[in-house]
Amino acid sequence: MPTAPAKTDVVDLLIQQHSQIRELFDEVAESRDEARHDAFGRLVRLLAVHETAEEEIVHPAARTSLPGGSGIVDDRLNEEHEAKEQLAALEDMGPDDPRFDAELDVLRVAVLTHARAEERYEFFRIRDQFTEKQLTALGAAVKAAEATAPTHPHPGTESATKNLLAGPLVAMVDRIRDIIRKAH
Amino acid sequence: MSFNPLEHRGIPLDRQVRNWRELDVEPVDPDRSDPYTKCRIITMNGIEVEAVFFSHHFNRICPDPEVKKQLAEVRFIEQQQQKAVNWLLPGQASVLETTISYEQVAVDLTAWVSRMEPDPYLQQAYEFGVLEDFDHLYRYANLYEMIEHRKAEKIVGDLTEIMPGRPTLVEHRHPADNLRDPYDKNKTEPLSKLHALTIMSAEQQTMNFYMNVGPQYMEPIARQLYQEIGLIEEEHVTHYESLVDPGETWWERLVNHEYNECYLYHSFMETETDPKVKAIWELHLNMELEHLRLACDLMRRHDGRDPESILAPELPPPVTFEPNKELLRNLLATQIDLTTLGAGYVRDAHERFERMQEQIHGGEKPPSEQVIDQHRERFGQEYRHQPEGPHPVESFRELRIRDEES
Repeated sequence: MPTAPAKTDVVDLLIQQHSQIRELFDEVAESRDEARHDAFGRLVRLLAVHETAEEEIVHPAARTSLPGGSGIVDDRLNEEHEAKEQLAALEDMGPDDPRFDAELDVLRVAVLTHARAEERYEFFRIRDQFTEKQLTALGAAVKAAEATAPTHPHPGTESATKNLLAGPLVAMVDRIRDIIRKAH
Repeated sequence: MSFNPLEHRGIPLDRQVRNWRELDVEPVDPDRSDPYTKCRIITMNGIEVEAVFFSHHFNRICPDPEVKKQLAEVRFIEQQQQKAVNWLLPGQASVLETTISYEQVAVDLTAWVSRMEPDPYLQQAYEFGVLEDFDHLYRYANLYEMIEHRKAEKIVGDLTEIMPGRPTLVEHRHPADNLRDPYDKNKTEPLSKLHALTIMSAEQQTMNFYMNVGPQYMEPIARQLYQEIGLIEEEHVTHYESLVDPGETWWERLVNHEYNECYLYHSFMETETDPKVKAIWELHLNMELEHLRLACDLMRRHDGRDPESILAPELPPPVTFEPNKELLRNLLATQIDLTTLGAGYVRDAHERFERMQEQIHGGEKPPSEQVIDQHRERFGQEYRHQPEGPHPVESFRELRIRDEES
């Protein structure tokens, strides 16, 4: 397996996660039964962690530093809000519901559209406006935030992670946000 | 089932204009659509772009007001067809993802045409060209994983393998060596004319696409790679357009263009897997039948000849997107080291070729090599997708695999 470079700038890191999210959507769509519950659980956790890290670290930086940043970030937050509602509805429904496949597809296209808009209107401009040092620092901040809320439990932290990443999406996001804020 | 487009009536021209709602086509799914559906969309876009520009050039040299008027009316419809076709591509696809689909078109369309081409000299031209597009796919796939952290097999599926072809590095030939000998319009099979027009149009669209989207990238290696491969696409346009007999009259060429559009829309209607896209191919076929009828009338009136004298009595078997892995592996094994000299093919690096290589590379590695070096540096190895096994040419097998064996 190819390994990602150790020191990543924030844009590279987030684009990499967009790609992982896209792969997870494929995995959920292609798997069945328990494997599907498991893949969907990982998708929800990855989305929760990724979006929260963006909201807490990347969007504020874009809002204050990019020309027109405030409007750009508002648009992205609206998309995120809508996606979260769709995701919460999917969670309520569960992977065994006959409507699940069709609704998952709607969410998949919405999330991909949102990710592309971030890349085109926000991330590429961040990369343009920020120095390499700033990009790496932001990347480190996102990584640190995500390490506090790992999507794959690490040995010895299972119970804490389980607690953090359990329950409905909304509660999960709130807990991740608290942790990120305390760490900064 | 045989189909002679000259025997079918299409939609009358004055009923072909579409309103905004009709032009607002629903794009295909960015992740779930058949890779070959995207290939058919990209191909037909290239065909419509050629139709439009051919008509513009005709307009520029045509003094007859009545003919100019008819060309303008048909051209407007062709512009709308181009919009309906190209807008089937999803906005979520990145430029690089669309690029990878363009190269999949170049590989599997050219490979199909080479398999069907009856004339050995023309067949050689397609076999020569396809190994270069095959290499471009591999270079862009490495760039894609570096920039977007995703594997190109997600886009092309298991339909097309990804590994080195004739290295892009040695594709930079002296421009005079890109000219081919044309077919003879009076002796060649009608199918050969359609093949040349199809591949020329596809390569021309690829050239235009790269020359316009390349500078949208910020990553230096991406900008440079689009420049380099964009220049090869220019060579390919020269290569394929010179296969066409320059002695064909404008009327004859117009008829060939319209006939080819009928052929391709009919082909794709027969082979399309997406019902919504298929409906567009069918609609456009019915429009093209009328464009063809009008072109045939012009030819009879102004050329004093029957279009039947230059066309096939029925459409050839449908142009089909399907895997060509075995053909490509055979060509890799036998033709990877070919270059051109004049209108022929040779194995030795002749003086004119060497001079061009020195001039363009300036003693340095070109972007197409740098992209692989950079990928190896970042990911520990280059990106390939070769489900059918290692590269057929031993010296083109992965460095890393060789290292492990030694």
